[in-house]
Amino acid sequence: MAGVLEVKNLSKSFDGIVVARNVDLTLQSGRVVGLIGPNGAGKTSLFNLICGVVKPDDGMVLLEGKSLDGQPFHQRVRDGLSRTWQHTRLFPSLPVIDNLLVGTHDYPGERLINVLFGPARLRAHDTIARDKAQGLLGKMGLGSVANDLVSDLPYGQQKLVGVARALMGDAKCLLLDEPMAGVEGQAYAAMQRVVREVAESGVAVCVVEHNIAFVRDLCDEGVFMFSGAILARGSLAELIRDPQLTELYFGH
Amino acid sequence: MEYLYGIIIIVGLYVILATSFNLIIGYGGLVSIAHPVFFALGAYTSAILSRDFGVPVLLAMLAGMLVALVASIALALPSLRVSGDYLMIASIGFQLGLLEVIKNFRFTGGPGGLTNIPPFLIRDFGRESYVLLVLAVMLGVIALVWWISRGDYGRAMSAMRDDELAFSSIGRDAMWMKIAIFALGSGIAGFAGALYAHYFRYIAPEQFEILQSAAILTMVVVGGMRTTWGPVVGALLLQALPQAITFLNLPPSVLGPIQGLLFTGLVLVFMFVRPQGLVPAKDIWRAVPRAKAEETR
Repeated sequence: MAGVLEVKNLSKSFDGIVVARNVDLTLQSGRVVGLIGPNGAGKTSLFNLICGVVKPDDGMVLLEGKSLDGQPFHQRVRDGLSRTWQHTRLFPSLPVIDNLLVGTHDYPGERLINVLFGPARLRAHDTIARDKAQGLLGKMGLGSVANDLVSDLPYGQQKLVGVARALMGDAKCLLLDEPMAGVEGQAYAAMQRVVREVAESGVAVCVVEHNIAFVRDLCDEGVFMFSGAILARGSLAELIRDPQLTELYFGH
Repeated sequence: MEYLYGIIIIVGLYVILATSFNLIIGYGGLVSIAHPVFFALGAYTSAILSRDFGVPVLLAMLAGMLVALVASIALALPSLRVSGDYLMIASIGFQLGLLEVIKNFRFTGGPGGLTNIPPFLIRDFGRESYVLLVLAVMLGVIALVWWISRGDYGRAMSAMRDDELAFSSIGRDAMWMKIAIFALGSGIAGFAGALYAHYFRYIAPEQFEILQSAAILTMVVVGGMRTTWGPVVGALLLQALPQAITFLNLPPSVLGPIQGLLFTGLVLVFMFVRPQGLVPAKDIWRAVPRAKAEETR
């Protein structure tokens, strides 16, 4: 079965330092893939390559069978790719809800022509977007802080806002970069629940995460990266049991 | 009275220039030096079209705005494709270069400038009508920038300034937004230029020198970036100051440099003492009341 996102033979090196070595990866609709490996293995770099933030030396990325070659980041996102960031990268000058409102798939307010000549269209869009944003925040347990500043929220909740923002745009494929780093307690449970729900709704999900318990509980498949290459893939239980991978991961 | 009208029109035009420049540098986060040259493009286009080609003045004015707008897109498109910082360098080149071009062509009047530019409204309705026109355009521009900055576009501009990469990651196109902001701001400057040309009826390259760029920047910084009234306050103040020193009866050769020093000095003082300007902007963007009304409904 063809995947939602297919990475084929992707390679990239910076001045001789290889961050991706002939990487092949397929993400299927409704499945969660855990991308694991030690720091510097190239996990975040792979996300950057998929998004077009960094251009590959070789290989290609296909979204629903269409090549994303040469497309800028924002266009890939509009085509159905979405990602979060390890360090949230929220918009600090905007309240929580506005962080979400600006992230809808189509945002007519980003074109001056609509601002000047299509106020009715903007109003209609605003109503729909607000409902969607409130719904997402409610699911994350953030309904009561919608009008707060993102910088006033605890870090775990900021991470949730980041995921909620990434979900505003009708993603077909969601890349989560360390969603659990710095997340504890209620936010942890909410994150787990939300990622599962997203996958169940048919989105292909890929998670980079060091929290192995989270990955084990959530992911259908694990992919182990080391030094830019995929060394192993399989069920999480298999990967965790492999003494060789454990050694690479912990560097003993 | 004629002297007073002249001052009101000059102040009004500077409010328009400062407000449109605030859109570019404040809301758009784009550093440009070329605002005076777009002012010049509007003035020259409108003056030449109406004087030498018999185009009706109002049409010529709109053409002036259009030429400034198109030129700004031509400048921004290649510079912004690379990175935001290149716009500043390109704008310096454009400001200095285009003014040299204007000085060296015959149809622009060369360094001596253009005289006998056709008047507008004044013959039929008196000078007062032109004052009202400028004030109306000024209020329109203030309202327009306010409207843009407070609605959905303002939200997007805030997000873009906060974090451009994150802005791309939610599917927004920062490059075209910047080009649109730059084009609108520059187009407004072009229209202000046309308004200038048909009142004073004489334009020359020296009126659009890079010193004007410093003056407009000072107005925005001293008044308060990213606020509706900051550029207005800044323009009023900065226009009043040179007027105030004219009473000292300094020779014109000293007056120009003193103004330049005054502008630069003010920017420096404000950067240290009150970087937010006289009218401070709020750190947090909030939606227009329309949205709040819907929430409480």
